[in-house]
Amino acid sequence: MTLLVHFIAAAVGTVAFALIFDVPPRYYGLCALIGGGGFLLIEILMDLGLSQTEATFIGTMFVALASRICAVWRKCPVTVFLVAGIIPLVPGSRVYWTAYYLVMQDMGRAFDNGFLAIRVAIAIVLGIVLVLEIPNRLFHREKR
Amino acid sequence: MDEVLETAVEAGHILLESGAEIFRVEETMKRISRYYGVDEDHKEFFVLANGLFASGKTEKGHYAKVLQSRVQSARLSRVVAINQLSRQIEQGKYTLPEARRELERIRNTPEPPKLLQILASGFGSAAFCVMLGGDFQDTLVSFIAGLLLYVFVLFVANPHMSKISGNLIGGMIVTVVCLLCQKISLGHSLSHMIVGGIISLVPGLSFTNGIRDIADGDYISGAVRLLDAIIVFVSIAVGVGIVFTVYRHIWGGATL
Repeated sequence: MTLLVHFIAAAVGTVAFALIFDVPPRYYGLCALIGGGGFLLIEILMDLGLSQTEATFIGTMFVALASRICAVWRKCPVTVFLVAGIIPLVPGSRVYWTAYYLVMQDMGRAFDNGFLAIRVAIAIVLGIVLVLEIPNRLFHREKR
Repeated sequence: MDEVLETAVEAGHILLESGAEIFRVEETMKRISRYYGVDEDHKEFFVLANGLFASGKTEKGHYAKVLQSRVQSARLSRVVAINQLSRQIEQGKYTLPEARRELERIRNTPEPPKLLQILASGFGSAAFCVMLGGDFQDTLVSFIAGLLLYVFVLFVANPHMSKISGNLIGGMIVTVVCLLCQKISLGHSLSHMIVGGIISLVPGLSFTNGIRDIADGDYISGAVRLLDAIIVFVSIAVGVGIVFTVYRHIWGGATL
């Protein structure tokens, strides 16, 4: 039940971002599925015991892969799906807690959170880079 | 010939200003000029995140153009439109004057209505608050904070402020709104409300494009865009931190 609510929330959040980034409305549906799916995948993986970094890495690969497939299918730039779909994976809470503990002068916890935020960010970078390296023709063959 | 390069440069400039990757900008400019018959060794394009250089040899002499660009806000619909236009040009569906007219039209497509953007920010904030595990009241506060934040972004920060102060004050506004709501006992989890509230400031486009540019080997532009993303992120965090510090001084060592 919680998972379903979170999936819907992530989908709504992704579409809200798609609107702010001025993505054409005809792509909202796919954006919602990609963003919601990526977030859902991360939650499930973390329930299964993976760390936030590992789960985010796999979730990012999913988002990037789905974005590329949709981009080939709908013949549009991959950015359209990738930019909004990646937002639910951003470690916003970690950055918040880093700032919070810095102000509270609890350097140990500030460091822990800040370091985790950086690790998650690197996981996102690696996930995107690895999937974008896959040669284009593989995706075209898949389509036929 | 001048006309062809001029058209390619115009397409590249719109793409760059709308938030396309460097690779796409260069590729599109090359495609357009190739189709209209300027061959490879008679022209050179050089694109950076904040500027565009083009030169070429034409029958009348030399062509050269330098254009500055600054990404104001993401306009992905224009990237999509130009992407489609360049495909159709290659299929021979556009004469040169037609292509120029189409580019003019794409440049002038309006952005989504401001009211809709503000609502999107509100719903986005509410959605992220739910995802973090906030309850109904938290979500409501996030929604309000998201709305107010985007009113500030669209009417004050974007037209009048630098990125640093805009995002810093944006972070402060959200934190103040959430703290006030908590004072009147609306909302329970401050962290969920605030993280939800600031989410529409998150520099998603600079971050993703920066990564992509670096992966494509466009290190300078990629570094500039990642730096942009980091500056925005740090500014937001500092904004939140400033309000917390002031709050702590006013209410003594109160835990938040």
